[in-house]
Amino acid sequence: MKINQTSIIVTAAAVGFAGAVALHASGSKTPTGVGGFAKSVGSHSTSSTNSSVTHKNNSSSSPPHTGSKALPPTHTTTPSGTTSSAAQSATGSMEQYGYGQLAVDVTVRASSIIGLQVVGLQTAESYSQQIATQVIPMLKGEVLSAQSLQVNGISGATYTTEAYLYSIQSALSRLHFK
Amino acid sequence: MARPIARTDTRREASGDWAKATRRGGAASPRSKQPRPRLVNVAAAIVATGFGLTAGLAFTATSRHQLAAPGGMALFLGNLTGMAGTYLLLVMVLLISRIPFVERVLGQDGLLQWHRKVAPWPILLIVAHVVFLTIGYAQSARSGIFKEFGTLVSTFPDMAVATAGFGIIVALGVLSIYSVRRRLRREVWWALHLFMYLALALAFAHEVVLGPSFVGHVFTQHIWSACWAAAAGLVLTYRIWIPILRSRRHRLVVDEVRPEAPGIFSIVLKGDDLHRLEVSGGQFFEWRFLVRKMWWQAHPFSISARPTPPYLRLTVKNVGDFTSALATLPVGTRVALEGPYGAFTAHAARARRVALIAGGIGVTAIHSLLEDLPKSSRPTVVCRVSMEDQLVFHNEIELLVKQRGGRLHEIVGTREEFPVERISKLVDDLKRRETFVAGPEQFVRDVVEHLKSIGVPKENIHAEVYSL
Repeated sequence: MKINQTSIIVTAAAVGFAGAVALHASGSKTPTGVGGFAKSVGSHSTSSTNSSVTHKNNSSSSPPHTGSKALPPTHTTTPSGTTSSAAQSATGSMEQYGYGQLAVDVTVRASSIIGLQVVGLQTAESYSQQIATQVIPMLKGEVLSAQSLQVNGISGATYTTEAYLYSIQSALSRLHFK
Repeated sequence: MARPIARTDTRREASGDWAKATRRGGAASPRSKQPRPRLVNVAAAIVATGFGLTAGLAFTATSRHQLAAPGGMALFLGNLTGMAGTYLLLVMVLLISRIPFVERVLGQDGLLQWHRKVAPWPILLIVAHVVFLTIGYAQSARSGIFKEFGTLVSTFPDMAVATAGFGIIVALGVLSIYSVRRRLRREVWWALHLFMYLALALAFAHEVVLGPSFVGHVFTQHIWSACWAAAAGLVLTYRIWIPILRSRRHRLVVDEVRPEAPGIFSIVLKGDDLHRLEVSGGQFFEWRFLVRKMWWQAHPFSISARPTPPYLRLTVKNVGDFTSALATLPVGTRVALEGPYGAFTAHAARARRVALIAGGIGVTAIHSLLEDLPKSSRPTVVCRVSMEDQLVFHNEIELLVKQRGGRLHEIVGTREEFPVERISKLVDDLKRRETFVAGPEQFVRDVVEHLKSIGVPKENIHAEVYSL
């Protein structure tokens, strides 16, 4: 009776564990938000030089089909009078911000920032990933519309904001921008 | 040696309404339902599968690149230990909810044994969870462990309350260490124990908000929440709601407190609707006597006779402050009850002949159990007491044994004068009987040990320990 119960418990636990692992292996790998970030950065289509975008972060877990939900490319909001000069891009420094690290790839044309793409985003765990995913598109929108780093930070994501802006700053100085 | 003892001074002629009701042989109440061990095995399998699923979920929640990142391994282990530990806490809650179909098979003492056996694991796993995650976050953020602990508590959502919950869990874990626990009074320890529910509630939010298996996974969030809600519901239902309903239905009051022997007295309760109270002989209730200073503590006492509506009897040995206060309970005191509990019933004795062995006050359970045995069962009953005047219910038991064609041995003597080994000489076919042993802890342990040594199979030994 006792031995029986023990074997029942051990077997059932093993089955449950195997089930969870099998489910994970076979089931659709739902993105934990990484894909959400990648899809919202529409600027990859606008940058003419992609030399620095060598290590696309986290893209292994973001299914390609999510691209269909991508936001419209942000360069549509930039004035069209500056088309004569070529776009230039550079990747900013990798910033450690406590919950992870990120670098921003910046594309400029003439005197406008026309593209921002986060590369090398790596967070320790899912929650920080989720926060970064939510916050980065917001920051991007702010910087692009202000065309400056003087933006309101996102409350509750101070470190992420700082890391994002610092990385942009270093990229801009590499481009001798402004 | 064994000899029937006729006492006159402590045993009085049955008097009062309760005695009249028993002589009439009033309408018996139904027995508690038949235990179904197979159902319990199915339940155990389901719960164990849940454990496997939880561990598997935690195991697969961390992606390969997260594992390779600084602190990745510690974060992985922290999540795994946290999920496994929390699931075991859920199991603990299930065990103390005393779900009736499980309790009928394992008995309250069986549930308690499991509870004690499992208890250290969730606490250790939760401690490991906190240690691993602090290290992991510190490595990942490249900061000091203590600084990182502060950051975790102050900047992550729901972490402040979860940390308070963790403090409670650790404190209760320390209090439960045997050498600490035995210094505390039973009621005090029990009351402190209740804070565990608070700790579980405080910790809940951070699990679903921060847990890698739950962030962005609404489905698992819902399942997890539903499991906890169900566990909470079971505790509320079986530990609070049903006892309240049952107590209100039967409206028990103390009808008589009658001495049975020096230091032993019966409390006869009178109540409504007792013919609907399902209880088997040998079972007990957690009694709550609703007077000042007593209402907040529930104490287990066996029924010493099957209900004879409108009466219900329990018998108490005076062993401490609480029991001596019971002896002076005024007539009319209201009594609430929780139960019945215990697998020490005639259900266990379907196929075989039985031997009932009572030490001291254990005779109360043996008496009510005897009432449940069929007329042709020919039970052997052994009652041992250390002093002659402690033999209670002699007449009643003698009559019950006679009606069932059995034999009664009454033994008076200390442990030295009558070692338990002599029981097997007294009852020559003991090995072939289903044995029921009730009495003080030491007595039960000695007898069970002896029964095992003469080759009584473990599943044929049923024991009920009277402690405190």
